[in-house]
Amino acid sequence: MFRRIWSLVIKEFIHLRNDWWLPAFMVLGGAMELLLVGWATSRPINNLPIMVLDHDRSAESRALVVSLENTGTFRQPEYVSDMPTIEDALVRGQINAALVIPPDYEEQMASSRGTPIIFFILNGAESTPAIAAKRAIEGLALDLGERITIERLGLSSDEFSGFNPSLRVWFNEALSEALYSTPAELGLMLEFTVLLFAALAFSRERELGTLEQLLVMPFSSMEIIIGKSIPVIIVGFTDFILMLAMVHFAFEVPVRGSLPLLLLLAFGYLMVELSKGLVVSVMSRTQHQAFLLVMLVGMTDFMFTGYAAPVEGMPQILQWVANFIPAHHWLTILRGILLKGAGLDVLWPNLLWLAGLGIVIGTFSLRYVRRALD
Amino acid sequence: MNLRHIWAVTRKEFHHIVRDRSTLILVLFTPTALLLLMAYALTVDIKHVPLGVLDMDKSQTSRAFVQQITAGQDLELYAYAQSMDEIEGMLMRGEIKAALVISPGFAADMQALKGMPMQIIIDGTEPESGGFAVEHIAQRAEEFISTALAGQLAAQGFSVETLQPIDLRIRTWFNPDLKPRNDLIPGLLSMVLGFPALSVALTLAHEREHGTLEQLLATPIGRTDLLLGKIIPYILVGLVNVVIIPIFAIAWFGISFNGNFLLFFGLSALFMFSILSMGMILGVFMKTQAAALAVSFLVIFFPGFFLTGIFFPIASMPEIARLEASFLPGTHYAIITRGVFLPGVGLDILWPNAVFMIFLGVIFTLVAALFFRKKLG
Repeated sequence: MFRRIWSLVIKEFIHLRNDWWLPAFMVLGGAMELLLVGWATSRPINNLPIMVLDHDRSAESRALVVSLENTGTFRQPEYVSDMPTIEDALVRGQINAALVIPPDYEEQMASSRGTPIIFFILNGAESTPAIAAKRAIEGLALDLGERITIERLGLSSDEFSGFNPSLRVWFNEALSEALYSTPAELGLMLEFTVLLFAALAFSRERELGTLEQLLVMPFSSMEIIIGKSIPVIIVGFTDFILMLAMVHFAFEVPVRGSLPLLLLLAFGYLMVELSKGLVVSVMSRTQHQAFLLVMLVGMTDFMFTGYAAPVEGMPQILQWVANFIPAHHWLTILRGILLKGAGLDVLWPNLLWLAGLGIVIGTFSLRYVRRALD
Repeated sequence: MNLRHIWAVTRKEFHHIVRDRSTLILVLFTPTALLLLMAYALTVDIKHVPLGVLDMDKSQTSRAFVQQITAGQDLELYAYAQSMDEIEGMLMRGEIKAALVISPGFAADMQALKGMPMQIIIDGTEPESGGFAVEHIAQRAEEFISTALAGQLAAQGFSVETLQPIDLRIRTWFNPDLKPRNDLIPGLLSMVLGFPALSVALTLAHEREHGTLEQLLATPIGRTDLLLGKIIPYILVGLVNVVIIPIFAIAWFGISFNGNFLLFFGLSALFMFSILSMGMILGVFMKTQAAALAVSFLVIFFPGFFLTGIFFPIASMPEIARLEASFLPGTHYAIITRGVFLPGVGLDILWPNAVFMIFLGVIFTLVAALFFRKKLG
C-alpha cells in the first residue's frame, strides 16, 4: 500500500516539476507577498497631507501647528490663506485634514476663563486616515487642555495626575502594527494557499480527463486521496515555516509560547483546510469553478476570523456561527502563542473546537470524496 | 485589427461561458457575494467590548464612574477583578479586550481637583477594540467630571470649562459619522470588479492546457484580435456587475451615491479594460491554469487588497510600495469610486486617473500581444 501511495506522490511531484511555477509561487510567493504587504502596511499611519489656515498668526498658534507636526501623523503642513482653498483640496481628495485657527486663539488661551477654539476638518471619503487624524488632534487637545488646567487651578504639575487615564498596552508594548497584522496576514495566506492547492487536486484531473485513468488503475480511493494530499501538506507546511520565519525575523514578531506546540497545531489546522479543499475539488468540474468556490469559502472564513472586525461586535447569531469556522480558532491560537505566550492551559477551548471541527470536516470530506471517486 | 475576427472570437468565448452554466453563475455572482461578505466583515461597528475592572478605591464615586462608562452598548462589564493576576488571566484568555484599573485615592483626588488616577490596559493583539475602549472611557470621564465637579469648581471660583478649556470642533466632510463602511464599500468595488481578470488569465491558460490554442492560431485571426476577442466577453460580464453592485451597495448598505452614474459606468468600463489586460498578461505567460491562478493571486488579488489604498492610506506607504500602487489599475479606480460615491466629483477632477487607467490598459495589452507573438511565433 505504501509503495502505491508513494508512486502517486511521485506522480504529483512530476506534475509540479513540469509546471514549476506553481509550487515555486505557492511556497515562495506567499512568503514574498507577506514581506511586501507587511512592509508596506504594517506601520503607523503617517505622512498624511494637511492644510493649515491660521487666522491668529501668534506664537500660540504656531506652537499648536508645531505640536501637530510632532504627533508624526501628518506631513509638513501647507499654509493657506482662505477657506475656499481648503474646500477645493477636500473635494479633490488632496488632503486628509485641515486645521483652522480662529483669530482670538491666543487671547482666549491667555485669559483665565477663555475657551480657545480649534476647528478641525476631516476628509471622510477616506475613513482610515481620517480616524488616525481625529485621534491625533484629540490627543493634542487633551494635552493642551491639561496644561492650561494646571495653570488656571494654580497646581504644580506633579500634584496633578490629570483627568485622562494613562494607557498600558499588553502583549504588544510598543503598539506596533506589524505585531498584530502580520500574524493575521500569515494565517490568511496559509489558508488560501492550502485551500487553493487542495481544490485543484481533483478538479484539474477531471478537467483534463485524466481522472478516469487514475481511477482505473489498481489504487483504492483512499490511496488516491492520501497520494493527492501529501504534496499539499508538504507545500503548505513549508510555506507556513517560511512565512513564520519571515514575520519573526523581518517584522520582529516574537514567539513567546511554545514553538513545537505551534507547529503541531499548524499541522492540525492545515489538515482541516485540506479536507475542505478536497471537498471543493470533487465538487468542481473545472479548475475555474474550483477557484471561484475557494474564493467564496475563503472569504467567508475571513469574515469570521476577527482580523478585519472584532467578532464581539457582530450580531449574536454570527458570533455563534464564528465558533464553527476553523480559521477563527486558528487565528486565536496563532496570536495567543506568538504574542501572548499562551499555552494549552489557555488555548484548550480553541484547541477542542478545532479538533472537533477537524474530525467532523475530515470525516465528511473523506466519505464525500471517496463516494465521488468510486 | 479586424472587427469581424474579434467578433468571431468573442462569440466563441461567449459560447464557452454560457454553455457551462455553473461557471457562468459563479462568474456572475462571485463579485456580488464577495462584496457582501467583505462589506459585512469590514464594517462591523465596534461595540460590546468586554471590559474588566479592578477597583482599588472601592468608593461610591468609583462605582458610579464604572456604571457610567459601561452604560450603553459600547463597553460591556465582563467582571470585577479582585487582583491584577485576575486581570492578567482574563486578558490572556481573551475574555476581555481592555481593563480599567482604578487606583486607591480615586475619589479623594477627584474632590481635590487633582485628577482621576486610573489606568487602562488594552490587549495589544487586537488594538482596535482596546483603542475604542480608551476613547470611550476618556469621553465618559469628561462627562463624569463636569457633572460631578461642577459644584466643587464653582465654590472655588472656577468655571466648569476650567477642566476642559479647549473647545475642539471637528467636522467631517462627505461622511459625517465617519463610518468606515461609507468609503470602504465603494473602495471594495475595485477589488471585486477586478475578479474577471482572473477568469481571463484562466481562459487563455485553459486553451493552452487543452491544446486548442494552436487550432485558434491556425485560423486567419490575428493575434491581437484573438486577445481582444477573448477579453470582450469578460468586460461585458464585468459591466453587468458594474450595474448590479452599486445598486446593491446603495440599496442594501444605504451608501449615498452623489456622482453621475453614466460617468461611473464609463470609468468602470475603463477599469475593466485595464485590469483585464493585466489578467491577459498572466494568461500569456502561464502554461497551465493552476499556475495562472497562483500567480494572479499574488499579482492581482493580494496587492489589489492591500496596496490600492482601500484599507491603508497610500501616503503612509514607503516609496517603492507607492510606486507599485500607482501601477495598479485598482488604485486609480479606488480613487474614482470614492470620489464619485461620496463627494460626487466629476471628470474635471478624475481625468488624470482615467487617463492613467487607459495608459495602463494599452501598455498591458501591447505587452501581452507582443509576448503572445514571440512565444508562439
